[in-house]
Amino acid sequence: MRKVRMTGRERVSRMIERKDQDCIPRMESFWNDTLKRWRTEGMVDDPNTIVGNDFQGLCWSEPFPYPGQDIVIKEDADTVTKRDAWGQVNRYWKFREGTPEHVAFPCETKQDWEDVVKPLLLAKGPSVDLAGAQWALKLGRRQGRWCHLTGLETFEMTRHLLGDENTMIAMIDDPEYLIDVSRTMTDLVLADFEYLVDNGIVPDGVWIYGDMAYRSGLLCGPPLYRKLVWPDHQRMAQWAHDRGWPFVYHTDGDVNGVIEDYIKAGFDVLQPLEAKANMDVRNLCPDYGDRLAFIGNCDVMVYATNDLDAIEKEVRSKIEAGKATKGYGYHSDHSVPPSVSFETYCYVVDLVDRYGNYD
Amino acid sequence: MELSQLTDAIKTGNRKAAGLLTQEAIEAKCEPRTILDSLIAGMDDIGARFQRNEVFVPEMLIAARAMKESMFILEPLLTAAGIRPEYTALIGTVQGDLHDIGKNLVAMMWKGANFNVVDLGTNVPPQKFVEAAKEHNPDIIGLSALLTTTMPSMKSTIDELKSAGLSKAKIVIGGAPITQEFATQIGADAFAPDAASAVEVVRKLVGAKVSQPVA
Repeated sequence: MRKVRMTGRERVSRMIERKDQDCIPRMESFWNDTLKRWRTEGMVDDPNTIVGNDFQGLCWSEPFPYPGQDIVIKEDADTVTKRDAWGQVNRYWKFREGTPEHVAFPCETKQDWEDVVKPLLLAKGPSVDLAGAQWALKLGRRQGRWCHLTGLETFEMTRHLLGDENTMIAMIDDPEYLIDVSRTMTDLVLADFEYLVDNGIVPDGVWIYGDMAYRSGLLCGPPLYRKLVWPDHQRMAQWAHDRGWPFVYHTDGDVNGVIEDYIKAGFDVLQPLEAKANMDVRNLCPDYGDRLAFIGNCDVMVYATNDLDAIEKEVRSKIEAGKATKGYGYHSDHSVPPSVSFETYCYVVDLVDRYGNYD
Repeated sequence: MELSQLTDAIKTGNRKAAGLLTQEAIEAKCEPRTILDSLIAGMDDIGARFQRNEVFVPEMLIAARAMKESMFILEPLLTAAGIRPEYTALIGTVQGDLHDIGKNLVAMMWKGANFNVVDLGTNVPPQKFVEAAKEHNPDIIGLSALLTTTMPSMKSTIDELKSAGLSKAKIVIGGAPITQEFATQIGADAFAPDAASAVEVVRKLVGAKVSQPVA
């Protein structure tokens, strides 16, 4: 049974500060296909009410060069190829979820960036919805949640504009180009946040999403990360800290090689800690738990076995490792896929209730 | 001229130098096969350094780009001399999966190791792998998957290939959720955790020799 004596807002703040909490904060992410399956298996509530959710996003800063663009280029029985608000051409499944196929990008050359995309971006106003943020803040405060500004970071945005291959080649061939893209996109996200703050939105923190890594490490490698991306990461964290707000960073993949760099940049929390990419709070907490809080790492691939003993071992060991530092929150290690049954997930929630209390 | 300079151009991803030095080597009447070996040696070096975490994906990409530049110049001579890649590999992302970044990197590295690579693209149904295998008679078939939900497609593909009697080709699997345990479970011949080790894996499977550095 979950022992609740605090609001989510208090709990998360105390987690970040390593102060006593009633129980570990929690949140979760689900595939849409998972929720569809669970509705046929008896789920009637919003899944956030099943697991509990101590966090409230207030906005989503993603400065598109072509906001609202959604042009169908071609389609077949199963897939549709579209040009999106980034100007990126992707092929998507029509009737199920999955990572799209990347077909083309708006900045195939530096000229595309300099002559077309950058001017478009700089001519645009804020990409965030003030009314939406005001509503979300009201809701979050009413629900007692920790409210955060949310947006993308530079590497993720650069990949949308240039594509993975061009991004990584440019990091070597033309670092000044990369720095220009990185700086511009970071400026735009921070300008979005400033706009909201100037209009009365006062969050509890800042949460930035990126995807820097895969199962074997950083896509670009630590040296290029430090030279070309880290300065803007540090700038974002500093922006939050200058206002007294903690900074949360989301990345998939194996980022073990740059944890110290994240700490040096001023990151306060790291999430979701992908287990299949060698991320493990049982190692991270003893080594870094005094300087970095962690959310996540409960392995969805173990959930998908539907083996209750294995799931108990997984959830218990991760939560216990995290609790030892008082700087841990529950989340799966990425997002819950449709191979996990509703019954199994309810069991996971029971385990989080059981092991997630601080006595 | 020293072919080691050409190997160095590949190692450093210097596309312009790679093209110029390839042309120079041809004009100096170096044997096409020897020139090719010096290119492969450069890619092998990159692969080895990637596995040691000394270089990363960007360095692999520019090395592959430099190799492509050289091969564009060298290929006509190789063809004229009847020198073809000794081994053929099919590669594709399995049915239900549209992700191709990892597959593309592996294909690039296999080409750099002088495999003839036939890329079937993404969302490849088992039957298409079977048809392509009958057409190309590959030594290697590479299956890629990003999502846990598409891993079962790897098993279906392997089962269909085996039912079709295509036992010559060795099957290698890879992708974010893939493990050696899963590979063994579904009857794959090997698992490659990343693009660089995928070269080593396929060479072992076909019994190919690693290129020696060219003096």
